[in-house]
Amino acid sequence: MRMGDRNQVRLLWGAAALVAVVVVFTLIYKGSTGLQWILSGLTVGSIYALVAMGFSVIYSSTRVINFAQGEFTMLGGMMMFTLCTRGGLPLWLGFLLTVGIVTLLGAGFERAAIHPLKDQSVITVIIVTIGLAIFIRALAKWIWGTDPVKVASFTGDKPLRFFGASIVPQSLWVFGLTLIAVVLVFAFFNRTLLGKGMRAAADNPDAASLVGVSASTSSLVAWSIAAAVGAAAGAVIAPINFAAYDAGAMLGLKGFSAAVLGGLGSAPGAVVGGLMLGVLEMITAGFAPSGYKDAVAFLILILVLLIRPQGLLGKPADVKV
Amino acid sequence: MAQKILRWKLPIALFCVLVAATLGSMGCGTQKVDTSKSVYKIGAVLSLSGPAAPLGQPEQNSLKMLESQLNAGAGVNGHKVQFIIEDDQSDPAKATAAITLLINQEGVSAMIGSSSTGATLAMVPVAQSTQTTLVCCAAGTAITKPVNKYIFRTPPTDSMAIDKVLGYLTGTLKATKIAILHDANAYGVGGATELAAKAPTKGITVTANESYGTTDTDMTPQLTKIQATPAQALVVWGTNPGPATIAKNMQQLAMKIPFIGSNGIANKTFITLAGSAANGVAFPGGNMLIPSSITAGTPWRNAVDKFTTDYTTAYGKAPDTFAAHGWDAGTILTTAMKTAGTSKAQIQTAVQATKGLVGIDGIYNYSATNHDGLTSADLIMIKIVNGAWTQIK
Amino acid sequence: MDKQLARLPDAESRNYRTLAISTAFILLIPVWARFIPGDVLHIDIVNVMVLAGIYACVVVGLNLLVGYAGQISLGHAAFFGIGAYTTAILCTRIHGFPTWLGVLAGTALSGAIGWLVGKPVLRLKGHYLAMATLGLGEIAFILFQQLKWLTGGTVGILNIPPLSMFGLKFDTDLKLYFVVWIIVMALMLLSINLIRSRVGRGLRALHSSEVAADAMGVNTSTYKVQVFVLSAAFAGLGGALFAHFQKYVNPESFVLAISIMFITMVVVGGMGNIWGGLIGVLLLTFLPPVIQALPQWLPGLPSGLQNFSNYELVLYGLLLILFMMFLPKGVADGLGRAADFTEVRARRLGDRRKAKRLEGR
Repeated sequence: MRMGDRNQVRLLWGAAALVAVVVVFTLIYKGSTGLQWILSGLTVGSIYALVAMGFSVIYSSTRVINFAQGEFTMLGGMMMFTLCTRGGLPLWLGFLLTVGIVTLLGAGFERAAIHPLKDQSVITVIIVTIGLAIFIRALAKWIWGTDPVKVASFTGDKPLRFFGASIVPQSLWVFGLTLIAVVLVFAFFNRTLLGKGMRAAADNPDAASLVGVSASTSSLVAWSIAAAVGAAAGAVIAPINFAAYDAGAMLGLKGFSAAVLGGLGSAPGAVVGGLMLGVLEMITAGFAPSGYKDAVAFLILILVLLIRPQGLLGKPADVKV
Repeated sequence: MAQKILRWKLPIALFCVLVAATLGSMGCGTQKVDTSKSVYKIGAVLSLSGPAAPLGQPEQNSLKMLESQLNAGAGVNGHKVQFIIEDDQSDPAKATAAITLLINQEGVSAMIGSSSTGATLAMVPVAQSTQTTLVCCAAGTAITKPVNKYIFRTPPTDSMAIDKVLGYLTGTLKATKIAILHDANAYGVGGATELAAKAPTKGITVTANESYGTTDTDMTPQLTKIQATPAQALVVWGTNPGPATIAKNMQQLAMKIPFIGSNGIANKTFITLAGSAANGVAFPGGNMLIPSSITAGTPWRNAVDKFTTDYTTAYGKAPDTFAAHGWDAGTILTTAMKTAGTSKAQIQTAVQATKGLVGIDGIYNYSATNHDGLTSADLIMIKIVNGAWTQIK
Repeated sequence: MDKQLARLPDAESRNYRTLAISTAFILLIPVWARFIPGDVLHIDIVNVMVLAGIYACVVVGLNLLVGYAGQISLGHAAFFGIGAYTTAILCTRIHGFPTWLGVLAGTALSGAIGWLVGKPVLRLKGHYLAMATLGLGEIAFILFQQLKWLTGGTVGILNIPPLSMFGLKFDTDLKLYFVVWIIVMALMLLSINLIRSRVGRGLRALHSSEVAADAMGVNTSTYKVQVFVLSAAFAGLGGALFAHFQKYVNPESFVLAISIMFITMVVVGGMGNIWGGLIGVLLLTFLPPVIQALPQWLPGLPSGLQNFSNYELVLYGLLLILFMMFLPKGVADGLGRAADFTEVRARRLGDRRKAKRLEGR
């Protein structure tokens, strides 16, 4: 085990212990109310985690921050509305179609606008993704209008109660999807040849091409996965957060924050970052004057970064000489 | 040496061309195309995109409808009317730029807009310095308080809506303790601040005053805080989708206290979003939402009926109050132009002298000290019962 | 061939020349704009140019930070806001407070806050720095909203007096135009001198490799913080001018989208090219009014497309993508290459003529 890895594990435990302390304190101090905050935080945090995973996948293969990631999630929600609520398709079919269509859109965009820029600086590509975000949002407004829309919950709205707190059934679907997504993404990048090659391609394209993974394939696959995860997230969270053409901006911001907090490029990191951000937000909303809750969340984020610049689960940045 | 000449020759030549072009344009550019003789131009800056787009879009719809109806008839004193509409993207800086463009370049004689309070306040200095009458569609109290000579308003103010809510709390609900939960944006903060200040004068104590972010998706922490106080009712001040999320969260937490919304949820979108959680929610809204609340046969009722029919035919859905704000702003200005003339001073005087003008939102009366036009009598309390609006008498 | 290239004027003296010409050009714009009838162009050039000049103050500084020092910031709307609020508060709360002093105070406070946060935050690199600056921007926005006693909350501050200096009142767009653009040109001059200086060379070393620069004895962290402070002060100056231009400020003008717009202007124009920022600002500030004016230029458009608000942002996003695809190093780089090309060609042409003359002799 390398020195860095050992430090990393220690810090991870430290962070986990810190969160545990906050959670336990909240539970003791506030009882079932505190439990309610934490459950809400986990739901919101899972949403952030799913968006964060999309950021991580593209980052770990291409080093690009995709500012249009939130828009994939928005598209997922809007497509579910069109296919299931308007079109009357069964849920599972609507879900599969949504994920399929958005994945194709993601792949298509990668070929059309990202692939031609493969020799350009990362910031150039990032600005292209900003352009894409503006473009998708404007198109969505043209197609679906400005009013938020409602997608019915998958399994009803009757809240489940335990220990005096309650949770809507849709939250369980979000937890489930988060778990499945993180396992699949993690397995893909660590167990399959293509996935391992893709990670290598980001660091050293020449070495990766030896195992048959070109930077070009890598980028295409990464964008497809990110779009798929984003769309699936959008489809599952739509009944909770109301789909709207402009929802992508907030999701992108929170997702990016979660991804950085957890360590860019790590799927488990995205989940840890997302859940931590969600729980922290809800606990601060509970304790602090609620107008300041986002400010507190960002302040904590900056402090974490200052103490550990590469995020909780991220590897130390390679030093370019 | 040659090198030095080359280095400066090109730029100097370029500069000479520029100066020549300047002088040239001075010679031929002096005649302005004057089309204002045939068409009366009124500018409108509305939020057609950005967060306030749900307000700006219907306002634009009814202005376009008004334009075609006027021009199909006699126009204004035989002149065609044109509403030149600009989008401010809900951004104050863009609103300033748009009103400057309309007044300085397009030569409009009066202005409408904007949809939100922030963008409207940004337009005020331009309207004032160019002495152009501005009829706004935003409800923020700060716009007409203190009264600015050139700034008028069509919607009922937030103060009127708050008076209506307080009347409902003390009269119908007999509540003495309330909690407030408001959007952290200009609309929510403005409403909550005024409500919290006025409540004690009606014998109501505010037990909690919490806020949420416009894009937040879960408000249970704020609600659990409110649950811990002895509040007998919850007043939510915000626009969609926040209040719908709150209604759903309250259902989730099994909170039973009455939910009173603001005029920000006076639209069908709220019912669609909140579903069964919308039932029992009460809010202040314009009479035009429930035309039967206006005495049949009065000019106002007739105007509302015709407007509702026309708008539904043209756009495939019933008009909301924002559509009414846009229509009334256009009507007030064109009526003033009909009676007084089209100079900026004449329009200002005529709008300020407006008395008993039948609009869709209500009957407008302006004076030198009152630029609000409506009163809280032009609002009713509406309750959602089984997904439909009913008037609370 | 080599000799020809060596005779090209060096980039620096070319910068001064370009500055002189563009100043003259920009100061003449209002004169032409006066003679174009408004209902032909449907764009208020002077008004848009004032806003462009204000944004240019921010972007020129940000370009130094991003393009030369290689540090990203997604939070410059915060400094823009600090400058705007400082002068707005001073000039509305204290009766008769000189507005130019307010602008200076805004610039200074913004720079000072830049130093306070820059020192710790600039230890971060790349995306982590981007995230931290983004977070600072969001915190500033929330403070603008929540500190009601100071900033007027979401309603903001009304009735900000117009800028006045030496007994002159700059209360129209036209008057403000000259003030703003002279300031922009002064900032440009300052930047050109800065990158020529020792600091500039240090910065370039920093951009290409921080480790190497450090090893060479360049005090990287000090340089980084200095440039950050400078860019924060420039942004504060822009914000202060914005407050006196708009005469009204509220938090909506200092949101994340504005920070992203600033960065986009830098990259579209050309990072690390002193003219890039300026070109990016002009391009992206004029793009929306041009798109809005399109339906009026093309009266035969089908009625579905007349409603510009629908496709305005579609077009804007698309153009942003296309610009980066075809000019990935920025518009300034493209223009520069075109200029080099013509200059080399012109010179070659001149040499050929000279050679001919010699032959003839």
